[in-house]
Amino acid sequence: MTEFLETTIDKFIFRVAKDCLYNGEGVWAKLDGDLVKIGLSDFVQQRSGDVAFAEIKPEGTELKYDDEVAVIETIKVDIAFSSPVSGTVVQVNPAMEEAPEVINEDPYGAGWIAALQPDDWEVDKARLQDPDKYFAQIKIEAQEELEKGNE
Amino acid sequence: MSDLSKENNQNRVVIVPCSGIGKTYGSVSREAAYEVVENVRPTRTQLVPLSLLVLGDDNSRESVAQNQAVTIDGCKLACATKMVEESGGTVVKDFAVLDVYRNHRDLKPKGIAELNEGGIKLASVLADEIAQVVDSLEISKEDQLELRGGSNG
Repeated sequence: MTEFLETTIDKFIFRVAKDCLYNGEGVWAKLDGDLVKIGLSDFVQQRSGDVAFAEIKPEGTELKYDDEVAVIETIKVDIAFSSPVSGTVVQVNPAMEEAPEVINEDPYGAGWIAALQPDDWEVDKARLQDPDKYFAQIKIEAQEELEKGNE
Repeated sequence: MSDLSKENNQNRVVIVPCSGIGKTYGSVSREAAYEVVENVRPTRTQLVPLSLLVLGDDNSRESVAQNQAVTIDGCKLACATKMVEESGGTVVKDFAVLDVYRNHRDLKPKGIAELNEGGIKLASVLADEIAQVVDSLEISKEDQLELRGGSNG
């Protein structure tokens, strides 16, 4: 059972899964057997809005850390995300094609976007933020957005 | 403009769009609603602004309670649908702008106060889909309720 760090800012509740690591854009990575699953954090999906389309790099694509792995089109923005892992895309979540709204509905579960065969997970792990650090980051970003909206 | 007077609006399908002011998909929902009530099915439909329902306007609540409603939501919060239901109305069809866009990706809406061409076309497509629903609602609400009661034994 995944545990979460949780904060409420204004009327929004943001959750950070404690069993994932995060890059600065809010892409999470989690070791799953030999593979690393990736997806978007709850904060990112709420800030970006309802997902209309998700284009993920196809299976077989070789990625370096920070290469573009996905482009998400939402009702607010088109946004590209960088891979938190170096490796090969071995599976794209089939839901991304037919029902990308799962990113909004279950960002840390059914809304995973891809699974990669990592080149060296230990190296990538060292570059990513732990949940506590990412949690601190989103609290600052959310507060900044709130203040921007109140101006 | 739609007329909220009781006499003119009996048995007209109520169209309730999203009130998302400052949001592109909200603008598409309202544009589609205007298109339906002013041009596509002016004699069969009436517009009820979501804001009036939220404020508890008596005429609007009565229109919603006494007629079938089609809602158009701009996002997953589905405020229009929820508010009609809370006002005692019957939602016969709830449209989500996002779903319509997913089926017409070439019509990407942009802009807020002034929609781009894609947004205007998307609103037109949505208006046509709403018109089809309105056309299928030949039976009055009272008759529907009677039929439902009959079928329930």
